Amino acid sequence: MSEALKKAAIVGVYQSVQARQLNRTPEDLYIEVVKGALQDAGLTIKDVDGIVGANPLQTEGEGRGIPGSVFAEYFGTHMRYAGQGLTATQADAMGMLHAIEAVNTGRAHTVLVATAAARSGFGVPGGDSGQGVSGDQWLSPFGLPRVGYYGIFARRHMHEYGTTSAQLARVAVNDRKHALLNPAAIMHSRGPLTVEDVVNSRMIYDPLHLFDCSPVNQGGGAIVVTTAERARSLKHRPVHVLGFAESYSAVDIFHLPTITSFDGPGGMSGKEAFAMAGVSHSDINVAQISDHFTINPIIELEDLGFCKKGEGGPFVESGAVELGGKMPMNTNGGYLSHSHAGGPGIYDIIELVRQLRGEAGARQVPNARIGLHHGVGATFISAQTAILARD
Amino acid sequence: MTQYQKPLPEPSSLTQPFWDGVKQHKLLVQKCSSCSKLRHTPKPLCPHCLSQEFTWAPLSGQGQLYSYTVMHRSPAPSFDGDLPYVVALVELKEGIRMISNLVHCPLDKVRVGMPVKVVYEDVTKEASIFKFAPA
Ligand SMILES: [Zn+2]
Repeated sequence: MSEALKKAAIVGVYQSVQARQLNRTPEDLYIEVVKGALQDAGLTIKDVDGIVGANPLQTEGEGRGIPGSVFAEYFGTHMRYAGQGLTATQADAMGMLHAIEAVNTGRAHTVLVATAAARSGFGVPGGDSGQGVSGDQWLSPFGLPRVGYYGIFARRHMHEYGTTSAQLARVAVNDRKHALLNPAAIMHSRGPLTVEDVVNSRMIYDPLHLFDCSPVNQGGGAIVVTTAERARSLKHRPVHVLGFAESYSAVDIFHLPTITSFDGPGGMSGKEAFAMAGVSHSDINVAQISDHFTINPIIELEDLGFCKKGEGGPFVESGAVELGGKMPMNTNGGYLSHSHAGGPGIYDIIELVRQLRGEAGARQVPNARIGLHHGVGATFISAQTAILARD
Repeated sequence: MTQYQKPLPEPSSLTQPFWDGVKQHKLLVQKCSSCSKLRHTPKPLCPHCLSQEFTWAPLSGQGQLYSYTVMHRSPAPSFDGDLPYVVALVELKEGIRMISNLVHCPLDKVRVGMPVKVVYEDVTKEASIFKFAPA
């Protein structure tokens, strides 16, 4: 590993209760996760000099201020850095990459990445639903919400590679199996899910059934990134980011040369992150791979090169990505069974940090040293990869 | 006659010629004046050669079903009555892809790769929509 990349470390993680409905204000939830992550790190607000992403604090006095200045005013401290998040709610894993960069370059010393979805989540009245039709002239007249793209991706993957509904279902089944071991997962008490349950659930965006789709829920999470030097004297064993990369391809599905990949030509962000980290696939002990819909990890595992293009279905079906398999994936229960609130990539990073610290309880991957996160925003086609390692 | 309740296209100045074309039952896309490549959706520059000069060229309207989803959850009350309906990603002969609906086709006959052709629906006095049907 390059020493330069060890300049920054993740030192604090926190997530709020995740639930269908929290009856909290977004502000209150945001404040909770900020305080929680700092407490986990053993730092105070005075240590923080950077944030990434927008924050719901701006809802007081609509349009007054920009994220950095609003944060500074609310928390009574000065900010040296305010990185842009993906969207208002999505200060997630991509946000973390920007926090790492800020610390690596010395632009900031300690950076917070936080997400809080208590109002503007999917399907919440008055929120940005993504399941409805907006004024988009290329989709709305035809009754296609952006999330419907995933049905179109799935159908093409089935056509080109023979991927089956049962293989898609296996992603949801694995997630549920892991969620049963994680008290924080919203589906923790729902009992196991079978392939039959998934394929017999009602159709939503054919070929995707109800249980192929992530739930609509609320919750928040935050992480703290600081310098490796500072990390040495803090409470927890630091987690480093060995490699990270992003890729951006297009806004809409019809601009892509192929729709069986999310991550640029040849799995761009994955290749770059592996090269930067100087590790190989067999070094990855645990992975968190975005699963807004069950088709996603199948495509992402292929893009990342854990299996050949087209073999994501059989790969998942083999049990390789279950706890006890060669690379357990989504050990917290994934977006499908743990939480899909706000910028859910934040929970991927939180889970990897817990696994690498050895704090994952019943779902702990024994001696997890290196973890990988891959996330997609396949409705605005982009991807990111981050490879994390314990100190 | 009941009013058309579904969302109508809201063109920008750049996309207005496309929707004007649909109104005249034509599929017009931008053709780069420099490298001759076609592009859709409308942009002020060619992503292949960055030229900003273009003309509007008609497409054949013939293509194939590249992929699709059958919508079983309605995104707005105005679509409730249509459920289940097909949203198609169509690849036109000229290589351009478009999202639309596949109509006049029983659900059990829908197949990736099936030949399709454009059809037009004059949904209001002012607006028309393009859709695809089995060819
Ligand atoms: Zn050109």
